Amino acid sequence: MSDPSSSPSSASASPTDAASSQTSSTEVPSADSIAKTQAAIHSLNPILTSIPRYLSSSPDPFALLHDPDISSQISDLLRHPDSGTVDNNVCRWLYDTFQTSDPALQLVVLRFLPIIAGVYLSRVPLRKTLSGFEAVLLAIYSHETTSRNGQSITVNIPDLSHPSIYHEAKPTAKNNATEFNVAIISPTLDPHRTVRSTQRAKIVGVALELYYSKISQMPVRSKIDFCEHCEIWAGQDGSMYRDDEVKQGDEDGEKETKAGFKEGRIPLPWELLQPVLRILGHCLLGPHRDMALFDASHAAIRSLYARSIHDIDPRAILTTGSLLRLGKIALDPKFNIDHTEVKMTNVISL
Amino acid sequence: MVEGRSEEPSVDADETGVRELYANGICMKTSEVEAKLDEGNIQEAESSLREGLSLNYEEARALLGRLEYQRGNLEGALHVFDGIDLQAAIQRLQPSLSEKPFAKKSRTRDDSQHSVSQHATNLVLEAIYLKAKSLQKLGRLNEAANECKSVLDAVENIFQQGIPEVQVDGRLQETVSQVVELLPELWKQAENYQEAVSAYRRALLNQWSLDNDCCARIQKAFAVLLLHSGVEAGPPSLGSQIEGSFVPKNNLEEAILLLMILVRKSDLGKIKWDPSVMEHLTFALSLSSQTSVLAKQFEEILPGVFHHVDRWNNLALCYSGAGQNRTALNLLQKSLHKHERPDDLMALLLAAKICSEDSHLAAEGVGYAHRAINNAKGIDGHLKGVGLRVLGLCLGKQAKVSSSDFERSHLQSEALKSLDGSISFEQCNPELIFELGVQYAEQRNLNAALRYAKKYIDATGGSILKGWRLLALVLSAQQRFSEAEVVTDAALDETAKWEQGPLLRLKAKLKISQSEPTDAIETYRYLLALVQAQRKSFGPVQSASEVEDDKVNEFEVWYGLANLYSSLSHWKDVEICLGKARALKQYSPELMHIEGAMCQERGQTREALSSYINAVLLEPSYVPCKVLIGALLSKIGVSALPVARTFLSDALRIEPTNRKAWYYLGIVHRNDGRIADATDCFQAASMLGESDPIESFSSII
Repeated sequence: MSDPSSSPSSASASPTDAASSQTSSTEVPSADSIAKTQAAIHSLNPILTSIPRYLSSSPDPFALLHDPDISSQISDLLRHPDSGTVDNNVCRWLYDTFQTSDPALQLVVLRFLPIIAGVYLSRVPLRKTLSGFEAVLLAIYSHETTSRNGQSITVNIPDLSHPSIYHEAKPTAKNNATEFNVAIISPTLDPHRTVRSTQRAKIVGVALELYYSKISQMPVRSKIDFCEHCEIWAGQDGSMYRDDEVKQGDEDGEKETKAGFKEGRIPLPWELLQPVLRILGHCLLGPHRDMALFDASHAAIRSLYARSIHDIDPRAILTTGSLLRLGKIALDPKFNIDHTEVKMTNVISL
Repeated sequence: MVEGRSEEPSVDADETGVRELYANGICMKTSEVEAKLDEGNIQEAESSLREGLSLNYEEARALLGRLEYQRGNLEGALHVFDGIDLQAAIQRLQPSLSEKPFAKKSRTRDDSQHSVSQHATNLVLEAIYLKAKSLQKLGRLNEAANECKSVLDAVENIFQQGIPEVQVDGRLQETVSQVVELLPELWKQAENYQEAVSAYRRALLNQWSLDNDCCARIQKAFAVLLLHSGVEAGPPSLGSQIEGSFVPKNNLEEAILLLMILVRKSDLGKIKWDPSVMEHLTFALSLSSQTSVLAKQFEEILPGVFHHVDRWNNLALCYSGAGQNRTALNLLQKSLHKHERPDDLMALLLAAKICSEDSHLAAEGVGYAHRAINNAKGIDGHLKGVGLRVLGLCLGKQAKVSSSDFERSHLQSEALKSLDGSISFEQCNPELIFELGVQYAEQRNLNAALRYAKKYIDATGGSILKGWRLLALVLSAQQRFSEAEVVTDAALDETAKWEQGPLLRLKAKLKISQSEPTDAIETYRYLLALVQAQRKSFGPVQSASEVEDDKVNEFEVWYGLANLYSSLSHWKDVEICLGKARALKQYSPELMHIEGAMCQERGQTREALSSYINAVLLEPSYVPCKVLIGALLSKIGVSALPVARTFLSDALRIEPTNRKAWYYLGIVHRNDGRIADATDCFQAASMLGESDPIESFSSII
């Protein structure tokens, strides 16, 4: 990633919530990018009811990404019961826009990935054709396949018996012999032309990995959309794991046993759940604090925690459980002392 | 915000909340100065301080700035600090401190001089720190960060070799540490994560002589940023790398390293235990599927940090997550002991689930499941369905090792009852639908099994391979081979090539069942090509644990082919296939089975029998050879009939739905003159005859 400019608010035409999700890596779009954006906005014209005038007059991919009006119109269209078909024009637009290969415009498409993936996976059992959604997902998947050259992503799990840049260790005889544990974070990728049903979770999971890698540039609303869909995917009420005062009492508990399930529950194999949890970790504990996002992600994590216990899935219980407790710690003033603050005393001395 | 009751001069100052200024042994109330400051008269305030406390200009300004900061008057503080030329002061300080970097010998002589200059240095640095804090609170984060950065640059210039402890007084050290800690926080708040990363690394990799707590806070904050910022930090610069030491190459590696170091430090008692560190590490390691590494971390934590039951339960989750279910169960048995925490729902459910996977543990699992159901009350009421589900699974598994028909059918119907009961709680859980399908299939209620298999595919959108396999197997058990083949083909269309192995194997067997051996051979040939390709792209399989269920298993291909050729009496080909298979797995009951069949076909009864017996010795529960031994013995003569009967009964104990075993048992009874028993057996065989799947149902789970 290129070195970002350090100015806190680089000039942006956007009058929107840009400031709230401003990242330091915004750059002035190139002429080519502007032209592509202009084309994209132009082809968006017949799809949406209205497009803010400032966008047509000065097309800027960053503004397009952050415009709340455009976003909510596209989101509504994506959530429409008949969306996602092969001739669906929003999906077509998203597909074409992603295929421009302009990174800034691709961000605009990724911004809607939470809704696309969310609606798509929850609708699979309805046996409708969803090839519009699938086209967008495949485009994102194959972008990632190409840029990774199909390779898996691995992590060397550190071992403290080896010295590292952050600590010293006595070199022992077996140091050189012991290999690091290698963890595969994301599998090798084969190209896919269609979404085969057994590959669906993997394709969506890989698309979510790309979303995660750009998440610091995503508008908060997009992340909240994601959290809301996770709650639906979990299909499990998680309110019994709330820590605040509105905790479900016993009388409600009885009701929950019957009504604890919600529509839209999907299978959550690890290849999908893992990127989901990475994104939720960011939403809950990322450096950019936003209360609405925190609450939305906390709710999603509660539901997924409940789900992982229902599935008796140890790895998922550990991961969601740790996030759940970290969310609690984040709200506890005892753990949030600002150590950089000066000690306030009534006697001020030199 | 009145806190920090200091032991300084006047006691009532703190109690009354009146601020006082204290310097050079003189104490003075701030009210007068504050009034002047409120009028915007900084200079007058300053001069009254200089007179009242006999201070120089910079000292007075520093005190005033601090006063303004504490009063929350941040703009005012900035005004005051603007009056000191901090940069010039820094410049001025540099030579005075760097003169004698190696002044150990003459230290005593220089001490007084040092303390004077350090006092002045600290005054300036503290002023800059407060200025940065004021800017931070005013939201001018970049300016604040630049102030801190200039301090660190200056300090680094002064102490090129790192801060020598002997020469630095505590106060100066404290200020430097504060600046080091503040800088990355500022960049983070400014959402400039790349700068934040460099600031963290600068803080941790350079020698600032930070105390343990401060260093730990920075390490933790950095780890959290790495884990959750979503911005890839990139590896540390080459300059910071030391020969032979581990250099993390991405965020996850660096975060895990830092968190492990933090856990180690608190194990060594260097820092206080911080529960969030272990939670972050749990997140990072389980996200990377490294729960066995996580288990090691839990094991290393000193006793007393966690309640021992919590530790056992966490360890059980870790081990079970790493596939070491036996170890996990051992731990759960301890934590669920009546003197520990026998009602812990999560532990009960996990224990029951582990037991449900092993028929010899199933009975124990039934107990855990019952306890789980009894404890699923109140806010845990939602887990009742889960308890019923694992109860059903355990009962179904227990039925497999039951010693009597009566017990078996009782357990089987109880299993179905539990799973059915669970459905009302877990309506939307497709796994339960699948489990019901398998349960019905194993009890040969094939219509019900078919219904559930279809329902499962619908509910999961066909996304899970085992659903397709169940459907195909149920159809094959109904002898609807061509339909089973259609399902298998559909499943193949929905599968990527590396996961096609089990389906192709199924398809080959279906071809055999439909008497299309040439097609079957063709399918096996394709499977072999897949094996080759797989080996090329993934490399040779190194250990048994690497063989995933979904991948093509080469041994099984050769074994299947051998079986096929043996049914065609192509003995030469059989021998070739057996040779290939033996190279992969030297001792296998399956291969001995085929060898025996080959001998039997050639009329070498004695050799055949010894092959079958060897197979059973190798794998005492290998049913096909028990049946064949029984069959062979039943033909030898009346004297062998009791032995034949034993073998066949034993086979039926393990696999009550084995049609051939019933058939030969019927023969044995007939030859022994027990016609009524023989009739029963033949009847059982004929009823079962039409309900055998081409692979056992339990092979899917």
